[in-house]
Amino acid sequence: MVKIHPAGIFLSQKLLRYLLSFFCILLIVFLLPRMMPGDPVSNLVGEDIYLSQSTIDSLRAAFGLDTPLHEQFIRYCLQIMHGDLGYSYHMHGPVFEILISRAWWTLVYTIPSIIIGAWIGISLGARAGFQSGKWWSDVIASIALVISSTPPYLLSLLALVLFVYHLGLFPFKGFYDTYNLQSILYHLTLPTLVLISFYASRNILIMRGAVLTEKELLYPQFARSLGIPEREILFHHIRKNAIIPLIALIALDFGFLFSGALFIEIVFSLSGMGSLMYDAILARDYPILTGSLLIIAIFVIIANITADIMSLIIDPRIRRSS
Amino acid sequence: MRKSQHKMCTLLFLILSIVSVCCSMGVMADDAILRIATTNDVKSPAFIGDYTLGLFNHLSNPPLMQMDENGKLIGLLADHYEVSPDNTEWSFVIKDNQFWSDGTPVTADDVAFSIQMYGTSIPNAGWIGETLTDTQVDGNKVTFKFNKPYTNLALEFTSYSILPKHIWESIENPNEFTSTGPYVGAGPYYLDNVDLNAGKVIFKRNPSWKGKISDYDTVEISWFKNEDAAAKALESGVMDTYWKYASSYPYAAIDSLTKTGNFEMLEKPTSGLTFLGFNLKREPMSDPAFREAVSSAINYQELVDISTLGYGKVPNRGFVPPAMDGYIQTKPMEYNLETARKTLDSAGYKDSDGNGIIEAADGKDITLDLLIRNSYAREAELMKEYLEKAGIGVEVRSVEDNTWFEMKDKLDYDITLTRTTPWGMLMHAGWATGYFDSRRTGQGVLHTVDDEVFLKLCDDILSTTDQTLLKEYAKEVQEYYAENLPGIPLYWKNDITPYNKKITGWYSNPLYGIMNEFTFTGVKSSA
Repeated sequence: MVKIHPAGIFLSQKLLRYLLSFFCILLIVFLLPRMMPGDPVSNLVGEDIYLSQSTIDSLRAAFGLDTPLHEQFIRYCLQIMHGDLGYSYHMHGPVFEILISRAWWTLVYTIPSIIIGAWIGISLGARAGFQSGKWWSDVIASIALVISSTPPYLLSLLALVLFVYHLGLFPFKGFYDTYNLQSILYHLTLPTLVLISFYASRNILIMRGAVLTEKELLYPQFARSLGIPEREILFHHIRKNAIIPLIALIALDFGFLFSGALFIEIVFSLSGMGSLMYDAILARDYPILTGSLLIIAIFVIIANITADIMSLIIDPRIRRSS
Repeated sequence: MRKSQHKMCTLLFLILSIVSVCCSMGVMADDAILRIATTNDVKSPAFIGDYTLGLFNHLSNPPLMQMDENGKLIGLLADHYEVSPDNTEWSFVIKDNQFWSDGTPVTADDVAFSIQMYGTSIPNAGWIGETLTDTQVDGNKVTFKFNKPYTNLALEFTSYSILPKHIWESIENPNEFTSTGPYVGAGPYYLDNVDLNAGKVIFKRNPSWKGKISDYDTVEISWFKNEDAAAKALESGVMDTYWKYASSYPYAAIDSLTKTGNFEMLEKPTSGLTFLGFNLKREPMSDPAFREAVSSAINYQELVDISTLGYGKVPNRGFVPPAMDGYIQTKPMEYNLETARKTLDSAGYKDSDGNGIIEAADGKDITLDLLIRNSYAREAELMKEYLEKAGIGVEVRSVEDNTWFEMKDKLDYDITLTRTTPWGMLMHAGWATGYFDSRRTGQGVLHTVDDEVFLKLCDDILSTTDQTLLKEYAKEVQEYYAENLPGIPLYWKNDITPYNKKITGWYSNPLYGIMNEFTFTGVKSSA
């Protein structure tokens, strides 16, 4: 008889749960946009346009909205099975292509932001928590508190006014002026720095709080009594335990990296995934909305699986309980 | 610890390096481009299918007609037009000195092809497909025959860009066709590139253009996703002007832009306005005396001061603003709380229980459901305050646009706040009739008036192209509004277009503001 490793059982259970979640999500992302008030056809033809009922009916048929909801859902599932996310009449293109082109640009500045934000948050937060009595620890905590409690839109706008308008260091808008690396860097530096400051400040506060709790427990004191250097206690013992709540949060950041960037995209006029979804909601563009929500859901699931695996590696208590 | 400090220093150095590269790039500027900021964003590089690109492409692919600064229709690609006595046959004679940017001449065939293509392929031009029965081309004249009288065709044809047949006839589905460009055009400029990632549309000078030319080889339209950033871009001098369809430059940003000393303001009264609409299918809104009382309860001057920051004026009862052709002088709207209370009282709406709110015939307090879109929150709060002072209860229901469209179409409200656009004022039988005629539907219209007198007036307008008769009908429509108040105009406003004072030659019309051929052939740099 083959003996299955407890960690394998733990992961299999999780995977089964995520698979069930995916099917529920499939139904929800299909129904949610269609439950919202508003008509995609009216949105397509515009505010001051008059069309006869027969023209409106033929448009509705072209959108596939003339059949009962359950038939639309079956058709949608069949499309998904063939890797087809549908066609957007508002955006004039296949949903998959549109999502890929927009998602790419959003990922270009959100992924570095999350990674650098996590690194800064963990490093500074751990130090600030470990040496909480020092003046610089209080300064870091205060700055992090101010940034994380400022509404994101306001902070982005302040950054735009200060660094773009007053200092003239960065451009006002867009991913680039001419498509080359220098121009892309020039345009994306400020949005990335703003996003980093958000992620970093939140991570600093959480990490600092977790380290403050951990350092008062018995094991760091025991380590000290053994003569282990402070730096080693912090980075080899306390940080390992304090990081666990942050892992789930950073995993969620990856899950919401498209929608979370909306405020940046509005302030810096970037045509990424955040603004694509926002426009799709306003226009009731069902295919784009459904496709975007599905992609987000997949990202969240993958991020959660990764977080589970990382927790399993880092935390021996989870390994034992599984 | 030292290792981490080293890492931090490296990161800091990297950031500083990027900043210094940015600084060196920031000073690079090219003054040979006319730069226009807008908040109308292009969502897709679909030349015809994208709503905003459809507005911009008039510059490269002129429609048959345009408006002059007084709102009069004049030819653009067409030299002149003729219409049959029964208004079913329209002939347009094309100017003979027009050339596409690839060097081929613009022909009547291009016009015939374009209009037929709109009718068959473009959803919002479905009316053409439904009514156009025949198209004939004779030399430089194209004749369209319709299955019913059509009196607004010259106006409608201010919005349909003419396309080169030799390019577009091979495109299977023009509405869904996307390309970042270049597109062959016949205007003073052709569309060279649509770059969604850079957020701009670039027009280059048409090498085959035979008319007047401006000082600029390139026109660059950059879209911003928020007004604050657009305003700051103007203040910093990286943009030369601002344009948004049916909207002014944000009033709140005018002062700080003026203070830079680099901009002047083109101020033009617009035919768009904000109004209070009534659900005339419900009581007491169906009672003219009640509407009259509501009209007296509104403090118009305060609304002008708050909503337009003084760039507007108190409207007249005739609804239609002076910026529209056919405007007549009617009595101004008048704020008089005492008159409002007396009118309500004499119409039988009394506050018998003394709670400050009048009662309807059934004895219940009148509390009106004020349905608004989120963007009207400030006006809605003022409206609530005004009406409550007159003894009319108000509950504000704020919803997003699509919910508003749906609830408004289901007549699920008592009163609402909305606006008209310049195009909306002209649609249907014109003079805002499209907003009130109960036989119409559409996102922005209220379709609440089913009074036979009004409907006949609309039909009369729709059955003639006689300018003298139309003037008379325009007067009757405004008198109807003044007497019946199906909607209460809250303020008329001026559209402000800021422009770089080193550039002269700006021209504005009531339909598309500065976005017209006169501007793009007339702007000169005085720098």
